[in-house]
Amino acid sequence: MKTLGRIFIILFAFVLLSGLMVAAVNAAGINQPNFNSEGGRTEFRPQGGEEGEFPFRPEGDHEEEGRGERGGGRGGFGWIFGAVKNVGVIAVLVTLIAWPRSISKNKKRTAAAP
Amino acid sequence: MTEEVSKNTSSQTRSKLWVDILIFIAFLVTMDPRSSGLAIHEWLSLSMLAAMTVHLLLNWDWIIQITTRFFGKLGGLNRVNYILNWLLFVDGTLIMISGIMISESALPLMGIHLPQGFGWRRLHDMSANLFLLMLGIHTALHWNWILNSINRYVIQPVVRLFAAGTKKDASA
Repeated sequence: MKTLGRIFIILFAFVLLSGLMVAAVNAAGINQPNFNSEGGRTEFRPQGGEEGEFPFRPEGDHEEEGRGERGGGRGGFGWIFGAVKNVGVIAVLVTLIAWPRSISKNKKRTAAAP
Repeated sequence: MTEEVSKNTSSQTRSKLWVDILIFIAFLVTMDPRSSGLAIHEWLSLSMLAAMTVHLLLNWDWIIQITTRFFGKLGGLNRVNYILNWLLFVDGTLIMISGIMISESALPLMGIHLPQGFGWRRLHDMSANLFLLMLGIHTALHWNWILNSINRYVIQPVVRLFAAGTKKDASA
């Protein structure tokens, strides 16, 4: 029962924040439909045709189905580079923050020792 | 009684470690949708909501303790940690909600079609990059706990297992 209550609190905070974010984005007008704007000129890019039809694609942009901009565009060992990059960012931050902290802790410990 | 309490704490720490490792691996996979594919990216991200809830439940006592003492006497590091954790929660919510808004696989499969826009897409990318940086700081601030827990619950049991195996071989 206690755990259920806690889950409810977490989900309530999540839903509340989500609602606030949606309201903020809509109020600020950040979210625009899929129009490309270049120098005041807008280019219409429909999201898709009728059911079963392929969505609009410009000339020369014929990628394999399901491997678009957000889809699996990197085959083979491409995922390793992505994972290494992200782990690298975290490793750099850990080195920059945790290492000086442990050094200062060790210094304090040796200074306190008789 | 004391032994029971220490056993509970020990099993809770072990659970925390494994949940955190799972979340970290899932985060790495979801951070690279080009490699994992959009469907895995979206479904794994949605399931991470449950994993994050478990993470928060396992750390509930700390959250309550710091919340009640936040404006009172509290160490600087705990305060920084608390603020960072809230920022992570807010940013995680933004990633999730913007991801839901631009979903191309999971939501349409459930029959839900939302009007897509560039705003949510940009917010999703920005919040994900910010989350990576904050996760790095979060990891750094808990680095000693991570090292100690891995040593205690991963490395030492493996070493003990090998030691027992070699002892058996020697006695045979």
